[in-house]
Amino acid sequence: MARTAHGLEVEGTVVECLRNATFKVELQNGHHVLAHISGKIRKNYIKILPFDRVLVEVSPYDLTRGRILYRYRT
Amino acid sequence: MNIATVSRVTETRWQAVVGDRIVGHGDVSQRPDGRRFVSIDVWRDEVFDRLATAILADLPTPLHTVVGEADFDLRSRWEQAGFTLERREWEYVLSTDPRETGLDALCPPTGVTFLRGGDVDEGLLHALDRAIREEVEATVGWQTMPAEVLPRPAGRTVGDPSKYTVAVRNGAYVGLVRVAPVPRRARVGLIAVRADHRRRGVGRALLAHTLGSLHRAGTASAWAEADESNTAALTLLESIGAQRTGSNLELVHH
Repeated sequence: MARTAHGLEVEGTVVECLRNATFKVELQNGHHVLAHISGKIRKNYIKILPFDRVLVEVSPYDLTRGRILYRYRT
Repeated sequence: MNIATVSRVTETRWQAVVGDRIVGHGDVSQRPDGRRFVSIDVWRDEVFDRLATAILADLPTPLHTVVGEADFDLRSRWEQAGFTLERREWEYVLSTDPRETGLDALCPPTGVTFLRGGDVDEGLLHALDRAIREEVEATVGWQTMPAEVLPRPAGRTVGDPSKYTVAVRNGAYVGLVRVAPVPRRARVGLIAVRADHRRRGVGRALLAHTLGSLHRAGTASAWAEADESNTAALTLLESIGAQRTGSNLELVHH
């Protein structure tokens, strides 16, 4: 788990696509977060699907919320 | 609640800061066609409008952004900032089963054969890709073409040649389809035919060949996107039973 100027960055796996463009992501430590996709991913039309490995930035205000920063290549 | 300070920190980034914490940032990037796309990520909702205001004050219009159809909150925020809908890109899920697509009885047009992956001549593939791109740029333009924009070396539009299947007629490469790898859900990223070989069933035959190969390899479905104005693509996809699952919206601020 890395701490950046923005917050905590953690790797995880997408387990479910939810409504309103959110995803349930299981982090490496077993915790789950509800994550939106980052603007960069959205702008580049990068598709997020269940079982994708992703890098999540966890909200400094709510540790159950996050933002998907990166989708790892499979 | 502390008020965030918004400032431009680089040519392409704006930040909203409270104390020593970054609570939001906005970014701009330029597409190869020159259009500027902006995005904003925030941890505190009230910061979004301030970042949008700062970006709009600093950059010339038009500015573009992308939102998912289902992301009502984000779309609403951009619309409050003055952005309006410019185009919609439908997402489809396609069965690969020839019995469901109706492509099982389809024969390729006379004289058309297919080459896959390692059998494709890379030089001819690049030439075909360039020719098709020039035809698109000379007509509808790439701004209406769906694209998962991945970083590539400058000047290269063909990524991994192994992802391509090519239609060949009388020794000439006339059409191509690119499919992203399995085990992720297979994605038909691009299907295109040279202008002087269209309306002869080459595209449908390419799709039939590709979906059939995926089916035989055990992949049950694939997905694809098409701009809502691209009636040829919509007709092709819907004629084989592709189902719409959602859409991406491109918004613009003039």
